[in-house]
Amino acid sequence: MAEKSLPKINKIDQPFWKGAAEGKLLIQKCRACEKLQFFPRVVCTGCFSCELDWVQAKGEGKVHSFSWVFVPRNPAFKDEVPICYANIILDEGVIFESRIVGTNPQTVKTGAKVRVVFQQTASPEIKLPVFELAG
Amino acid sequence: MRRKRVCFVGYGSTEYSRKSEEPLLSYYAQAIRAALDQTGLKKSDIQGFSVTTQSSPDYSPHVAEQLGLELDWVLNGDYGGAGGVTSVRRAADAIEAGHVDVAVLLGGNSFDKSVFQQRPLEYQRANYVDVYGYGGPNTLMALVQRRHMEQYGTTLDQIGKIAVTQRENARLNPQALLRDPMSLEDYLKSRMISDPIRLFDCVMPCSGAECVVLASEERARSITDKLVYLVTDAERINYQVSNMLPDKTTFGIKVVGDRLFAEVRRDQIDLFELYDDYPIAVLIQIEDLGYCGKGEGGKFVGSHDLSFKGDFPVNTGGGELSVGQAGLAGGFLHVVEALRQLRSEAGPRQVKKAERALVTGIGWLSYGRNLGTTAGLIMERRA
Ligand SMILES: [Zn+2]
Repeated sequence: MAEKSLPKINKIDQPFWKGAAEGKLLIQKCRACEKLQFFPRVVCTGCFSCELDWVQAKGEGKVHSFSWVFVPRNPAFKDEVPICYANIILDEGVIFESRIVGTNPQTVKTGAKVRVVFQQTASPEIKLPVFELAG
Repeated sequence: MRRKRVCFVGYGSTEYSRKSEEPLLSYYAQAIRAALDQTGLKKSDIQGFSVTTQSSPDYSPHVAEQLGLELDWVLNGDYGGAGGVTSVRRAADAIEAGHVDVAVLLGGNSFDKSVFQQRPLEYQRANYVDVYGYGGPNTLMALVQRRHMEQYGTTLDQIGKIAVTQRENARLNPQALLRDPMSLEDYLKSRMISDPIRLFDCVMPCSGAECVVLASEERARSITDKLVYLVTDAERINYQVSNMLPDKTTFGIKVVGDRLFAEVRRDQIDLFELYDDYPIAVLIQIEDLGYCGKGEGGKFVGSHDLSFKGDFPVNTGGGELSVGQAGLAGGFLHVVEALRQLRSEAGPRQVKKAERALVTGIGWLSYGRNLGTTAGLIMERRA
């Protein structure tokens, strides 16, 4: 029986997952050129600097695109279909891939405002940043 | 072989350390920065990129993505100890051919046991995509398709027409696994996989293989009298990679098209073999190649006949959507079909005037953007 996928936390993105567990959405900011980026990487995609700080995003943004998933790649997620997988543009100006929860196919629209919530996973230490419609 | 226009212009090194667990990518970054500092070149001057290593078992485009490199030429220099010399040789080929003017060639190692001993692409997908229960490529392309539909008013009828017409072409191709008639209604009623991607938007995985043979002009003349020349070719790797708000509805094919059409006029192409992992990808490529404006692909598809008999023949053998996708043979299928057409060997689905064909390949749906790798070529039949 397949298990629902969990992140394989490593030393590069450990701060991100620690932040999520504490209810903070962290993204990377380059100390040299100040570029913001997500997902977490070793190197700044603007200037090759390896000095990347973590900054807290407000956790607000809008829906850029979304798909109702009926056939998840990992069958363990089947009990949750349809899953609203989305691209969120955070107010800070980066795309974040995530899920929109607590909604249905009639109410999600592109451009809708969303805010982050942190969802407990099967692992006690890991919470997933997901999004819900913001009013 | 005597080189005519290739020079070494600089280098960069890092400190060496015994058993350092520093991430391999940070070594790469330091070496590149040193070379850029020495030469005065900017990150955006890097057009070609090669990686040779044993410790990061992944494709070079994925390594380049981590470094934020958008490229015209990329190479996995997986030649063991010969990698330094062989990478130089291949880059010299690319420079002489005019594909790039500046190539950065890297070699490296680290004892980092955590993230970059894993494949960078797997890492990214596992931690930031898979955990949300996504539906694989079907979902990632669904995000692109929804953007296109909402931004430009593209309809399912227009997208479906591509799948339906390719099926008509496939009905005359004995290699095609899917040859039953398919109507637009069949397409629209097919099972939802990852909304708005339906079953008939998806390729059927299958077994098979394709092969292509190239030769020098002189040698080629002694092999066949059906001479098909490679006229021009280009690639764009990691289009928009360092843009955190990329345009999801434009592929690197836009850059590829500009390069190709610097050599051949758009109206000189007789047929198009466009990589069709999904119909929406075909529609977007028609726009990116400049046959209509961005966002007008739906209208274009609606008002042209895309069949092998039509005024704009696309995927004349049915494409991967109807033939089947035999893994990475999918990228060769389009080359082979173009060759069949240009050699007048396409039987009942032969395009009447088939002198020049444009072939594309696209691959790897990337985080937040669309395609990681895009490439194209134009071939021409000469008597
Ligand atoms: Zn930077």
